[in-house]
Amino acid sequence: MASSSTNEPAKQIILLTTSDNADMRVEREVAERSILIKNLLEDLGGESGEAIPIPNVNEAVMKKVLEWCEQHRKDPPASQDDDSDSRKKSTDIDEWDQKFMQVDQEMLFEIILAANYLDIKALLDVGCKTVANMIKGKSPDEIRKTFNIQNDFTPEEEDQIRRENEWAEDR
Amino acid sequence: MATASSFTALPTEILEAIFLHLDPRALIAVSQTSKHNNKITIESPVIWRHFCRTRFRFWDSHHDIAAKFSGPLSNVDWRRLFALRIGIEKKTLRLLNKVLESQQGRIRYINEIADFGDDARETLLDQYKCPDDTEDVLARRYYTNAILERIRREKAIHLWKDLASGADISMEKALGAYDLFARSGEDVDLDIISADLDRLAQELLQQHAGFADCSTRRKAEMLGWFLQERGFQGASDLEYSALRNSFIGLVLRSPDHQSLPLVSVAIYCAVARRVGVDARPCGFLFHVYCLVYAPKNYLVDGEYKPTSSTELDFIYIDPFHASTEVNPADLKTKLRESGVPGIDHEAFLSDTNTREMVLRTARNIMNSVQSIRQREAGIYNRGPHHGWLDAYPDMDNAFYATLWAMLILGPSEDTLGTLSSVHTRRRQYLPYILEHFQTHFPWDVTLLEQHVTPLFRNQPEGQRLLEFVQSMHNLDGMRKPVSARNTPPAQKVRYKVGQLFKHKRYHYEGVITGWDTSCDAGEEWIQHMGVDRLRGGRNQSFYHVMVCDKSVRYVAEENITPAIGRSAEPSEAMLRLAGRHFKRWDAESYVFVSNIRDEYPED
Repeated sequence: MASSSTNEPAKQIILLTTSDNADMRVEREVAERSILIKNLLEDLGGESGEAIPIPNVNEAVMKKVLEWCEQHRKDPPASQDDDSDSRKKSTDIDEWDQKFMQVDQEMLFEIILAANYLDIKALLDVGCKTVANMIKGKSPDEIRKTFNIQNDFTPEEEDQIRRENEWAEDR
Repeated sequence: MATASSFTALPTEILEAIFLHLDPRALIAVSQTSKHNNKITIESPVIWRHFCRTRFRFWDSHHDIAAKFSGPLSNVDWRRLFALRIGIEKKTLRLLNKVLESQQGRIRYINEIADFGDDARETLLDQYKCPDDTEDVLARRYYTNAILERIRREKAIHLWKDLASGADISMEKALGAYDLFARSGEDVDLDIISADLDRLAQELLQQHAGFADCSTRRKAEMLGWFLQERGFQGASDLEYSALRNSFIGLVLRSPDHQSLPLVSVAIYCAVARRVGVDARPCGFLFHVYCLVYAPKNYLVDGEYKPTSSTELDFIYIDPFHASTEVNPADLKTKLRESGVPGIDHEAFLSDTNTREMVLRTARNIMNSVQSIRQREAGIYNRGPHHGWLDAYPDMDNAFYATLWAMLILGPSEDTLGTLSSVHTRRRQYLPYILEHFQTHFPWDVTLLEQHVTPLFRNQPEGQRLLEFVQSMHNLDGMRKPVSARNTPPAQKVRYKVGQLFKHKRYHYEGVITGWDTSCDAGEEWIQHMGVDRLRGGRNQSFYHVMVCDKSVRYVAEENITPAIGRSAEPSEAMLRLAGRHFKRWDAESYVFVSNIRDEYPED
């Protein structure tokens, strides 16, 4: 990792151990997109060189997550706006992220779970938006098919729920 | 772990995060997929609050929505609230279509929408912005605007009534009520006036870090400089009587911030209050000054001087003239020179109340309107003109506001000696208000009923008002009598409803809104107007017409010069007024498309 520029500080490499015991080497700046890892590194004092265990994420998913972190390494840090409904939600996703999210459903949910666990807000957001876009414009039946959801309503219950929601239907 | 990664296995918090990105319709579709999904969507207050927050910009004040949003999440049934608002949206649209469809019940439906208050505002604003090629574009814009105005007027009237009954209403709100009456547009609201003033106060404090520690005199000075620097200025002599100078909300928003002394003072006082300075208006002779008081036990220069007196040390400021300090001795001299007896000086030199400021503004507006009318009479002596279009705020609405203010806030039993003199005063305004209301705002009948009739209880007018209101309601509920063209005299009527024309003798622009087969006015009018001297006399067809100056007239057929051909485009003023009776302008046949077919089915 020899850098041609002498002014740039040497890039610090850290070691992560995934749930399936794979060791992954990654630049600290990239890994620190994860607030969980960032905090762990700070707690460990940074320089120990010890591998950091990530027991909830396997190698395949971690690879994907780190690919996203690499792409977004220079993004400004997420605002500390925790009140998630104070701003208008939008399902616009930038092009690179859209491509990045073109994975099978299982991987998509794995990425979302990993982003949640690793505390990478922006990635979690992109994941949630992607799923939301898969729901929009679909009928209940189409949604069930898309996500393999078991319909456990009796026909009577289904009827009742439809009636309860009539207020939201078209004028 | 990997096998658990399906939609149904996602933890609720993540599902909620996903659902926050959905629109209500999609969310409801999800809720119908399974019991579990139903539960977590229906029962999530976060999501429904989010919808409430993002879907609606305006809330009627009775919701007290700001408090709800900042309060604990579980205090409110957000889903129900959301459903309620969606319901109002739909009802508003349904009622609006009824308003547009027929003249029958129009007043009733307008009032039913108006009862939703600001909850209906958004839908109405959306409808107002309907595309130019909407089938009933003129009518839709006319009536949505009329209802929006009606909602704002009711708000203003309530505010003044509260003020009259002694409620603590801030001066900017009491004066802002005039903005509600006379201005239109999305940025007309009391909250916006308050927010504009808040911002000024904030900027002042940011600019002067040590403000709080200064003496009263120094604070008064700094506030004056600050407002001057922001461009606030007294109106120039040339534009002194311009109508817009009397509207606090407009002055705050206008690029040049020109205002009458009263409004300069109101803005000064309102910002002062926000930065902890006690400033009050002083209603002087032909001018309004500002009294700035030091806190108790202090002098205006900041010196500590304990006293048992309740009187506070103060200075006079003139916000209209660059907020300079005014010497009290000069004011007294002026009063003496104007011949004001010494015993009355105190009244001109001490602080006045918000009610007086509102009444004084009413007089200022009346003066402005009068001078506009006089000027117009001079310029347009050839007849009716659409000068009203250039006047902003709307002159008729502004004048109407002053009538209401005078009625509600004018002398009451306790300020004016006897009861009978109160009624005499009120009686003065009644004919004007009735005339204005009948010509421009017949849908205000409910406001009249609620707020004017009670003022004349046990008076002869009271009974007559009640009957008048009742007959308006009855008329509104009835089907309009049909004027068919299949009788021989009706077949002679040459022009149709919707015909644009120029008056042959007076040259004004008008549009036909109805016809009679012969002159149907009373004998007195016929004599007075010299109808029998017309070539066709009283037995020719006569037309009800709407004129570009907002008046309605009655014109003989021989005086109608129909506008034909490409030069026959209606003026902007005509297009705005036409919506009351017409759907749209048909540029191919050069006529307005009738929206009163229930009355004239064949026109």
